Amino acid sequence: MDLDKTNEIIDHLFRQRAGQMVSLLSRIFGIDKLELIEDAVQEAMIAAMRKWPFGVPENPSAWLIQTARNKVIDELRRAGKSVGLETEESFELADTASTTPDKHLSPIGDDELRMIFACCSPAVAADSRVALTLKIVGGFSVPEIARAFLSNDEAIAKMLTRAKKRLREDTRFPELPPSRELLERLDAVLRVLYLMFNEGFGATAGDDLVRRELCFEAIRLAEMLLRSPETSTPRVQALAALFCFQAARLPARTNEAGELVLLEDQDRSRWDMRLAERGLEHFRLSARGDERTEYHLESEIAGVYTLAPSFAETDWPRILACYDELQQRRYSDVVELNRLIVLSRIEGVGQALSELDARFADGRFDRFYLYQITRGHFLAEAGRAAEAEAAFTTALSLTDNTVIRRSLIERIARLAS
Amino acid sequence: MPNYMLLLHEQPSDFSGLSPEAIEAVINEYVAWSAKLASENRLVGGEKLRDEGGKHLHGFGGEFRVSDGPYTEAKEIVGGFYTIAAADYNEAAEVASGCPHLKYGGWIELREIEQMS
Repeated sequence: MDLDKTNEIIDHLFRQRAGQMVSLLSRIFGIDKLELIEDAVQEAMIAAMRKWPFGVPENPSAWLIQTARNKVIDELRRAGKSVGLETEESFELADTASTTPDKHLSPIGDDELRMIFACCSPAVAADSRVALTLKIVGGFSVPEIARAFLSNDEAIAKMLTRAKKRLREDTRFPELPPSRELLERLDAVLRVLYLMFNEGFGATAGDDLVRRELCFEAIRLAEMLLRSPETSTPRVQALAALFCFQAARLPARTNEAGELVLLEDQDRSRWDMRLAERGLEHFRLSARGDERTEYHLESEIAGVYTLAPSFAETDWPRILACYDELQQRRYSDVVELNRLIVLSRIEGVGQALSELDARFADGRFDRFYLYQITRGHFLAEAGRAAEAEAAFTTALSLTDNTVIRRSLIERIARLAS
Repeated sequence: MPNYMLLLHEQPSDFSGLSPEAIEAVINEYVAWSAKLASENRLVGGEKLRDEGGKHLHGFGGEFRVSDGPYTEAKEIVGGFYTIAAADYNEAAEVASGCPHLKYGGWIELREIEQMS
């Protein structure tokens, strides 16, 4: 046993390796053996957990791959399936004593890239793709995904089983460089990353740690797309910029008690400015070409927020212009709430409130907690405390989310005092 | 300084539901513990024993019999061992008490190794 080597185990190695190994082995043995491969990877990791306490191998990654690959072959043989000689040869033994990065793992993650495209196949139901990508490429466990999605293990497991069945039956392991057909799927891939990030970033009450991980997984996968020339497009840069700008603010978004801190009240010294700079670099690169997608607009909004020297000095008109353009392209009621909050900073809260009331006069949003919170916020700013309290109280009755409820209760208390 | 053996007793369990992240966390705990011991020159060695149970050998007046170890059905196995250096049992127990093995449902049998000199 060599204890000097033990420091080489790095954070999240296992989670990322799980996705890499499943992707690699699916290319070699076929995506139709996905479940067998997932089991083999899990067993290899458990074997590591049992053995490495007594000595970590020289090349931990190669050891894991080798062990998982052997388990797949054993299992195929046990099931009476022939393991083609070419399969074994194309996967010559990894040198587990070598300290060089494993030659089977492409540095730019080609196999994972292929697997992301597979998970976003039209064969897989759109609402299952995020969970499937997290499970297969991200190495997230069923309970972790359930915690992040505020769902239960059983429901997520069922969803994944269905999705994997479609994947095994209807999808071949995608080729690289991607065919034109595959590139057409890039937008579906970006959508999945967008939803993955939002799942992690949204103010829901799921497990905070896991949800943070979702954000960083979305960043990792977006940056993986950017490392491959075929998938490195301005809109992917814009998406990566959006993620980095938003994630930079994560450290200050909750206080020690786990309560939500409004942007206005956040301690900006806790923002991760290195991440913000990474966002700026992506944003710069997103401007190449003449494409201006919704991701461009959203990343610009996030960037203006994150790079402003202070909340008061935020460039509200620029943010409003982005919201206006977003709304012209594809109107969304939820985005309208955000737009009006920005409008209130420029035109005053009276103007925003009257636009809000006019927009939702038909009452279609009355039972939507975000609408009530926005309305309460405007009313409070306008000094109409009693009405504000009523709106916040209505909002309180419309959400089970503990984080949001706590913040509402606090705001009601503040109004009363 | 005398040497002590830490025999790691454990119950065979099903780990199939563990997430990669959780697995990594367990390994990191062991690695941190053994690295600390190594830095204090306390760690003499350690090996993992295979799970399949091994063999039992018994002598019967000039003959001997080999049987499969009972571990496959047993409630408990010795999963591995560490050898550490410590001044006395108290110190050895203190060192062993930091072993992550204790956190994950196992127990440790601590034995002093007889010095031959």
